[in-house]
Amino acid sequence: MQDTVLVVGAGPAGLSAAASVANAGYQAVLVEKETVLGGAPILSGYAKLVPSGEWAKEAIGRMIHNVEAHPRISVHKGAQVERFGGEPGQFSATLSTGQTVSAGATILATGFTHFDSVNKPEWGFGTFEDVITTSQMEQMVASGKITCPSDGRVPERVAILLCVGSRDRQIGREWCSKICCTVSANLAIEIKELSPQTEVFIYYMDIRTFGLYEDRFYWKSQEEFKTKFVKARIAEITASGDGRLLLKGEDTLVKRPIMIPFDLVVHAIGMDPNLDNPRLAQTFGITLQHHGYLERAEFYTNPCGTTRPGVYACGAAYGPETIDDSIAQGAAAASRAMADLHALAKAG
Amino acid sequence: MANYAKMQQIYADIRADFRYEHELYGCLNCGICTATCPSAQFYDYSPREIVQLLWTGNVEQIYDAMQEKIWACAQCMTCAARCPFKNSPGGLVAIMREIAIAHEMQSAKDVLRPFGRVMLKLITTGNQLSPDMIQPDHFPDWGPNIQKVEGNLRTLRKAIPVKTLQTVDTAWEVSLKTSVEMYTIWEMTGVLKSLQLMDENLFDVIEDFIDEKREEYEEWLEEQAE
Repeated sequence: MQDTVLVVGAGPAGLSAAASVANAGYQAVLVEKETVLGGAPILSGYAKLVPSGEWAKEAIGRMIHNVEAHPRISVHKGAQVERFGGEPGQFSATLSTGQTVSAGATILATGFTHFDSVNKPEWGFGTFEDVITTSQMEQMVASGKITCPSDGRVPERVAILLCVGSRDRQIGREWCSKICCTVSANLAIEIKELSPQTEVFIYYMDIRTFGLYEDRFYWKSQEEFKTKFVKARIAEITASGDGRLLLKGEDTLVKRPIMIPFDLVVHAIGMDPNLDNPRLAQTFGITLQHHGYLERAEFYTNPCGTTRPGVYACGAAYGPETIDDSIAQGAAAASRAMADLHALAKAG
Repeated sequence: MANYAKMQQIYADIRADFRYEHELYGCLNCGICTATCPSAQFYDYSPREIVQLLWTGNVEQIYDAMQEKIWACAQCMTCAARCPFKNSPGGLVAIMREIAIAHEMQSAKDVLRPFGRVMLKLITTGNQLSPDMIQPDHFPDWGPNIQKVEGNLRTLRKAIPVKTLQTVDTAWEVSLKTSVEMYTIWEMTGVLKSLQLMDENLFDVIEDFIDEKREEYEEWLEEQAE
């Protein structure tokens, strides 16, 4: 039992954790509630990933293949952990399929939920067909054609609104979702590549293309792809008489309110805590932090831990996270879990 | 023009208001307040500018904004409903207006003077508008339609089949007890004091009215006791 690690969630973090466990010679049991592996990048049909530029299907697909082909990983799809008990070295989990899993450690790679744009009705999602989310734009890019959903025309002007469901005390989202600035700059490039006649505007409060994303995405989208960055948060979206959308904002440079016409508006949606988190917290006996993400055990000496010894976590379960950092955290959580099991075995 | 010390005092008073910290958490200049502000569409007024101005601590510019700009706000509080920080620029304006009144700024007196008639009605009866206030002179923007309500107000009023609306000098029948209670509220919340600072004559008229009503109420109470 002490050489088995239960991994919950098969997104980038969970796939990475399971592969790390198995590659080190331990057994991994991977439980995924959906019937396909890959998590958000696959389920939401992301296009090219930041920062590699590889298609999500290929990059995450490679991770999936490694996991599915690995002799030391058993995968349970369409399954959830319903009951969980025990202590480090001997946990027992009952799955919704009726099966029981015995494991020495557990890694929660349970990820996030995309912000639902209907929670900001003034921005027109659900009211106007030509208001879509970044997930939908990713799918559009992956399909190879940029069009307005209302009538199929190629948009002349596209607006991407940042911080939809992030940095907004009005709706209790008091966090930065970290990835949307870079994702939006990347999408602006992809839109321009597919539809050179389309002009792309990004409306922002701050641009947070942190670290090495600055020149590769923020600058590149401006310098090479002529994306226009406008410092303004849009107040409302209405329809104009000619079927286009009207964005109401303030030109913060000339300090006057303005109305700007657009053909297509994209909400750069943030990362909410996984909707399942309250249930997960109860099942696994762990604590959530005040935003609703998983509580980290301790920042400096136990960064992969939760509030329950032997239960670890990684990736967006802890808060908004990039794909590449989620993968790194998955590997880190696996190392920590195996190290703790190793210590237990030596002591026992 | 006020001297520098006076302007500093005004700024200090604004920040000392117990609501100040609650109305202003932080600001990233996103402009959503100004974008959504109905007054900003028509006037040289911007809620974002008010927030930023208070942060600069430039007491001359703040004093300048209190001359005219702050009175362009309609107090609809859409800015507060939209601000991602949950600031309330409209709430800051409310504080600035109260401070302008407390300091007896001439600009405040000038801006508030046209509201004397409404103030009289509001403070004495709790009604903002009554049928007898609808006079041709006061509503030039109504054009010739105003003639339709002139002259036979009582008859027109009777045509409205709701019992409480058979009055012409108030919008509804005002209870004496409620009025007297309301006067206590005006007094205790400092409304009457503000009024006195802005318009001494109007204040005298209103105070006489209030005294009369209070006497009337006392008499009524005595009658009931007998």
